[in-house]
Amino acid sequence: MKLLKSTRKTEPEYIAVTPASKKYAIRNPFSEDLKINGHKQDIKIFEDEEGFTFIEYKNKKYLAEIIEKNQNKYTVLLNGLSYTFTIESPISYRRRKYLEKFKQTNKLEIVTAPMPGKILELLVEENTKVKEGEAIIILEAMKMQNEIIAVVAGKVRKIHVKAGDSVTKDEALMEIER
Amino acid sequence: MKIKSLLIANRGEIAVRITETAKKLGIKTYGIKTAKEPNALYLRLVDDVIDFSQSFDEIPEFLDIERIIDAIRQCKADAVHPGYGFLAENPYFARRCEEEKIIFIGPPASAIYKMGNKTIAKQIAQKHNVPLLQGSQGNVKNPKEAADIAAKIGYPVILKAAAGGGGRGMRIVEKPSNMEKMFKMAANESEKAFNDSSLFIEKYVRNPKHIEFQIMGDRFGNYIHLGERECSIQRKHQKLIEESPSSALDEKLREEMGRASISIARAVNYNSAGTVEFLLDADRNFFFMEMNTRIQVEHPVTEMVSGIDLIEWQIRIADGQKLTIHQNDVKLSGWAIECRINAEDVQAGFSPNTGIIEKVSFPKGKNIRIDTGITDYSVITPYFDSMVAKLIVHAETRDKAILNMVLALKKVWIKGIKTTIPFCLAVMDHKKFKKGDFNTSFIEKEMDKLYYNEDNDEMLAAYVAAFDFAAELETDRTAKPDFERGKNISPWVLNKRLKSL
Repeated sequence: MKLLKSTRKTEPEYIAVTPASKKYAIRNPFSEDLKINGHKQDIKIFEDEEGFTFIEYKNKKYLAEIIEKNQNKYTVLLNGLSYTFTIESPISYRRRKYLEKFKQTNKLEIVTAPMPGKILELLVEENTKVKEGEAIIILEAMKMQNEIIAVVAGKVRKIHVKAGDSVTKDEALMEIER
Repeated sequence: MKIKSLLIANRGEIAVRITETAKKLGIKTYGIKTAKEPNALYLRLVDDVIDFSQSFDEIPEFLDIERIIDAIRQCKADAVHPGYGFLAENPYFARRCEEEKIIFIGPPASAIYKMGNKTIAKQIAQKHNVPLLQGSQGNVKNPKEAADIAAKIGYPVILKAAAGGGGRGMRIVEKPSNMEKMFKMAANESEKAFNDSSLFIEKYVRNPKHIEFQIMGDRFGNYIHLGERECSIQRKHQKLIEESPSSALDEKLREEMGRASISIARAVNYNSAGTVEFLLDADRNFFFMEMNTRIQVEHPVTEMVSGIDLIEWQIRIADGQKLTIHQNDVKLSGWAIECRINAEDVQAGFSPNTGIIEKVSFPKGKNIRIDTGITDYSVITPYFDSMVAKLIVHAETRDKAILNMVLALKKVWIKGIKTTIPFCLAVMDHKKFKKGDFNTSFIEKEMDKLYYNEDNDEMLAAYVAAFDFAAELETDRTAKPDFERGKNISPWVLNKRLKSL
């Protein structure tokens, strides 16, 4: 087992923000003096010989893996579950808060394919009104027919696919106007 | 033994499983290589590989009867083991094997046909006084006819593919207004899955337990049962966790259901391993559902409590040997639980999670069994089902088995894809599951959260992200070339760099 440490001397603060706007202020990430939201924490990161990375916390081992990273946006897999964060510095966090006030909620909801597969059937047409929770597309993947459900109520503005099309993960399928 | 070599017309963990027993019996194994999974684990374990990867057919490899028959003729294998799924319950394939003098490791084609056609199967069960659910006498042609029958027997009803299995082509209809949509979906799905869109309809029992009996018969009319398996933890009719025995049965009911199972098997001159599935209602009335004329995914729990190798007996019986185990010899001891570990994202409605397994490690132990078709760098493709491994534990009591399962699940480490392990842990941690108080609606009705986590998990994950971000910032600030890169660097950063090469 190898303990992972950094040689960095200056110790800054980082703020991890969840999509639900919960924040974790992490001070001194590399030192013994680690504080999270003001509380002292003893967390160690280890890498074993086989290439797994573990967190050790309160005598428990947690399997950890970063599964997505795009600039300051992170998705971390911990004990098999994924958690998404945006990492901010105290200054960029304040700016983000300030900018959020001016942000308008998007009126268009883009329905994307949750998994690669084949479009079996479209249950709605353009300009149909849909209810939240209503099945709108049937996607076949891994030998199963999966209903894709409208996450918002609204009107179908545009359909990008037709029955029989193969789609990749995250491909835009249709747009619903709230 | 007449069987000296066999072809495995399957993939994944069951191909690996069959290989293990074949090796034990000194039988040479052939595996089929497909273009979809050319580096799969099972191909490394079989003695010889038959390459189907060069030509592309409309029919999927493991469903292509004539191509498989051809391959068996060419490699001169004595027998074929179909595993489960694919051609395992295709009577035409079994018949073709009979015609070609290839030993089909499974029951005779006639038994597969009779039990595979649920309408005939129900008639047989009825004739032998095995309790049944009310429903259509035969297939229903259209939503209208289905609605008429449903009106008679009362909602809710269930539409099932006549040629079905594994939960495909099944839809529950709660009210008349849903009939047309559900009928269409079920017919469509069963056409896709089984090449046959015929449906039948029956009364739907709310919240039953799913209890199935493992039976075994030879060609000389000897039959035994190896007790039950409870498979009530299901999502969309797909079994996720199975155990043996079931806490719902006592010796008397076990004997009664075992006897009913054997009578159905005997009625179709069944031989080989088979499973008779029942629904058990809250008052412990049982109803015959169907018979699966193949080895089941969940067979290991029976093997763990009985100590009997079911695949071995499938081969021996196909070889023409007598079943030397009598009902009195069957001693079931302790409790076994199986968790299916699927490449699915439990945080996103169990959507399939394809990708490359970067690294995998399983727990080892006397009472732990792992049946898997994956290893480091295996690819999880969208072409096949999402199961990557089965984790089976055995202990003296159910409580201990659950505890062992929790410990074992926490030692299954898979890097590169998301799996259903957090779901399995959530079930093991559930009060009602622990008490044995559950039925097939457990996931829907009893589970508030479909995955297990602890209070501090999110905080720890936040720390991991911040640690990595900080470490990467640090290296970015080094303006001069760094020839020792990778020395004091986080493994994730290194990983990311390797990936972007």
